Amino acid sequence: MRTLFRDGSADRVRSRNESAWLLPAGQGRANEELRATMRTFEDRDDVDAVIVGCGAGGATMAQRLARAGWRVAALDAGPFWDPERDWVSDEAGSHHLYWTEPRVITGSDPVPLGSNNSGRGVGGSMVHYAGYTPRFHPSDFETHTRDGVGADWPIGYPDLKPFYEAIEGELPVSGQDWPWGDPHRYPHTPHPVSGNGQMFQRGADRLGIVTRVGPVAITNGRFGHRQHCIYRGFCLQGCKVNAKASPLITHIPDALAHGAEIRPDSMVTSVEVDPRTGRATGVRYVRHGVERFQRAAHVIVAGYSIETPRLLLHSTSRRFPDGLANDFDLVGRYLMVQGAPQTGGRFADEVRMYKAPPPEVSSEEFYETDPAAPYKRGFSIQTVSPLPITWSEHFAGQGIWGPELRERMRDYVHWACLGALCEFLPLPDNRVTLADETDRHGMPVAEFSYSQCDNDRALMKAAQQVMEQILQAAGAEHVTTFHRYAHLVGGARMGTDEHTGVVDRDCRSFAVPNLLITDGSVLPTQGAANPALTIMSVAARAADRLIHHSTSTPPAHPTVWREHVRDSR
Amino acid sequence: MTARLPHRAITPGSTPQRFPGFDVLAEADAWDPVTAGVVLARVGPQPPLRFFSPAQEAVARPLFDLILDQHQEPRVPVFEMVDQRLAELATDGWHYGDLPADPQAWTLSLGALDQDAHQQCADGFASCPLEDQESLLRAFLDLGDDTWHGMRADRVWSLWSRYACTAFYSHPWAWNEIGFPGPAYPRGYKNPGVNAREPFEVEDRRAAHRDPA
Repeated sequence: MRTLFRDGSADRVRSRNESAWLLPAGQGRANEELRATMRTFEDRDDVDAVIVGCGAGGATMAQRLARAGWRVAALDAGPFWDPERDWVSDEAGSHHLYWTEPRVITGSDPVPLGSNNSGRGVGGSMVHYAGYTPRFHPSDFETHTRDGVGADWPIGYPDLKPFYEAIEGELPVSGQDWPWGDPHRYPHTPHPVSGNGQMFQRGADRLGIVTRVGPVAITNGRFGHRQHCIYRGFCLQGCKVNAKASPLITHIPDALAHGAEIRPDSMVTSVEVDPRTGRATGVRYVRHGVERFQRAAHVIVAGYSIETPRLLLHSTSRRFPDGLANDFDLVGRYLMVQGAPQTGGRFADEVRMYKAPPPEVSSEEFYETDPAAPYKRGFSIQTVSPLPITWSEHFAGQGIWGPELRERMRDYVHWACLGALCEFLPLPDNRVTLADETDRHGMPVAEFSYSQCDNDRALMKAAQQVMEQILQAAGAEHVTTFHRYAHLVGGARMGTDEHTGVVDRDCRSFAVPNLLITDGSVLPTQGAANPALTIMSVAARAADRLIHHSTSTPPAHPTVWREHVRDSR
Repeated sequence: MTARLPHRAITPGSTPQRFPGFDVLAEADAWDPVTAGVVLARVGPQPPLRFFSPAQEAVARPLFDLILDQHQEPRVPVFEMVDQRLAELATDGWHYGDLPADPQAWTLSLGALDQDAHQQCADGFASCPLEDQESLLRAFLDLGDDTWHGMRADRVWSLWSRYACTAFYSHPWAWNEIGFPGPAYPRGYKNPGVNAREPFEVEDRRAAHRDPA
């Protein structure tokens, strides 16, 4: 299924997802008319699907279902962003892009949340992700069979492959031909490489480690009305240019054009279930201080790995006293983060890593289990380019302060930085539960407990060694490694039955037939890949199954909003 | 912003510049208005103090000066910026299970530091000579992940240093010191690459580098 031309004309993408062509062609970054004339539903309307969360999973669902004629209301706790007005080209000024509601972190290796792993508002954390969009490898779907660790998915790589290809076209992804996992090509050619990427390539070449430019979801060529990247380096602060993909610009416009409602500033506090039928009836939510209830034929939860389990655990009833779809104590469990150490190398040369997008060059040479290594599974290596605040926090985290901190930071333009993603294993006690503490809605906040296992620690050490060797081979005068985490997946994983998973292979919950979960929390393993592309692809597959293979599909409504699409161009 | 008053590039404490003449604010005309509003507010007057009590202020000011080596004017107003963040609850939201939420953790930890200082200086941390303040901080950091006044020392350090670094390195004066041009929209960069510079970037004049390792 090769649907794109290398020149980026992408006609076939346009025929199935018109988002990029619905964005303003000139000034402005949001299609204001499309938003102003958005279809809206009443709470009493029994919509075909209410979606909780408009990030990678929720927005993809909304676009697919709306195109199929479903009446969709997609709620998000945060704002409906306008990149021009709401985002800034500044590190500290981008704090509002993160989910900063209270949360408690525990365990032997507690994972700080907020900035790098949780989003807020329409677009979700893809608003501030770096932009890396690698596929998972075929091995990721059967780590238990192959390596005796982790879990096997109820679907295999071939089930997801057509959806990977579709989403790669819709983002679209730019990069060199990919030699790892299932070798494949990308619709857009690779971006030029900056100082940081050059240092990675130089060191890796000298060690015989294969690297590739990409894969990044930043357009490189004409694609609808998306603007070209200006290489300003603020990908993690929200792309004001509309060059880096997020669902806000890749799926929401097409969803609106097909009659979906995006309802921002709406905090869902519970999913309600009819005790007689055992079916979900809709969601309770708070908007502008008023509690409301949206009726729906399907409830689709896509709040990501912390908020999805929190919502389910908080949705108790006589039928589900321990939380919705939690009959077997699986909700919130097997939550994963990736070990994401960053290694800095200081060079006599000026690298100026803040110039150009942080995501540039990757290597998946160490992704698969090495039979000679004392650990299972692996890691990937990618360029990362921390801005000054994050960079100074790295040093401070090593106990550096005072004159030494200032002096290290005066070297800022001389540092190159690599990051690893280590595949930490899914463990049952790494989980979300409800804390005693409550948020401003009176809803118990999530407590996230995380503890590493020996395999996790061994992987981190191996990744650190390789990154330090690469930067030394490139000529660094000094290298240092900072320990940190990135990404979240799991917490409501898919399984073959209700004893192994919360949802089935199609993201339907085992316990409630019209309840689906379509976000990163359904992933049983995480590979050593950034999860965004896989989350979108899993959601696209779930939508496809729901639309074409569901026994309870609601009657399709005529797509009257087609007229609207033409008008808004 | 066409008529611009002449001004010189400011660095914190007027430290000698590694990037001579480099002035982030000289390029403010090239920033989009939303970003300019956010960044320029940092060089303007700070809002009134609302979070820290005077007793906490007496500890927090010298602590920030110590962490960031700011012992002379012009200072990046780190104390004021942190007070604003805490008053507005602009926290990261999460907190360790064994520490309270950030505002209370600040209150507790500043009190604890002052308590330690009272063993050396009758009037507490604010009255300690710089060397004593430094040795108190060093002793605290040497605790690593041990308990300090009922809190894990490394987690308190994480709290202090994250707020301090976020304030200091968000300020254009600090960017002047490190050669970072700050906002880049809609301008972007045209010359990425090793030793490549934009017209507005300034070469680091350091000749031989001191290796801190």
